[in-house]
Amino acid sequence: MAASGVAGPTRTEVLQLYRSLLRVARQFSDYNIREYSKRRTIDAFRDNKNLTDPSQLSAAFSDGKAQLEVAKRQALVYSLYAPKVKSIMDIKAS
Amino acid sequence: MAFRAAVLRHIRLPVQTLKPTASRAPSQWSLLRLFSSHDDHLTKEEVIDRVLDVVKSFPKVDPSKVTPDVHFQKDLGLDSLDNVEIVMALEEEFKLEIPDKEADKIDSCNLAIEYIYNHPMAG
Repeated sequence: MAASGVAGPTRTEVLQLYRSLLRVARQFSDYNIREYSKRRTIDAFRDNKNLTDPSQLSAAFSDGKAQLEVAKRQALVYSLYAPKVKSIMDIKAS
Repeated sequence: MAFRAAVLRHIRLPVQTLKPTASRAPSQWSLLRLFSSHDDHLTKEEVIDRVLDVVKSFPKVDPSKVTPDVHFQKDLGLDSLDNVEIVMALEEEFKLEIPDKEADKIDSCNLAIEYIYNHPMAG
């Protein structure tokens, strides 16, 4: 496979992607999806923390960016059809 | 008439004087806040307490090590990903949106407290 010649993600870019994913996760109105997105982001970034191979880094970074796009779209769609009844986990104990 | 007065004298209930409240609210400033609609900014104390609570309840943090000048990565042994998570947790606690450039700079309790205290929208 020919080298693409594009430089891998910088540390700042990775952290920015991490933050964007966590922010989008927050926007989900459904408790389950929100928690899953958060958990999955944290787990995925932690698992790939020690990658050093540039091609692997780029692949993981592009994957993350693609997931970010999916999540943004889904957050929007879910908010259009949000159920009126909130999950019990979202109701603060009074 | 006299009879009526005599009866009333007997059944009239004694007026109770309210004792002055024994202790004023612990912080006089919170009373001030109740009566003023302009000064609803958080006090430094409140900001410090809430920031420390957020940091202490982070699962990877040892609560006994948390002080207002603790550095997330150097003193608490967290990494940059944890740093991002803590800043996100602070955003949620104070209902703020911290832009990426500022969020990158917050890497200790000190900076977090300063930023939040100086933010006009901190809630």
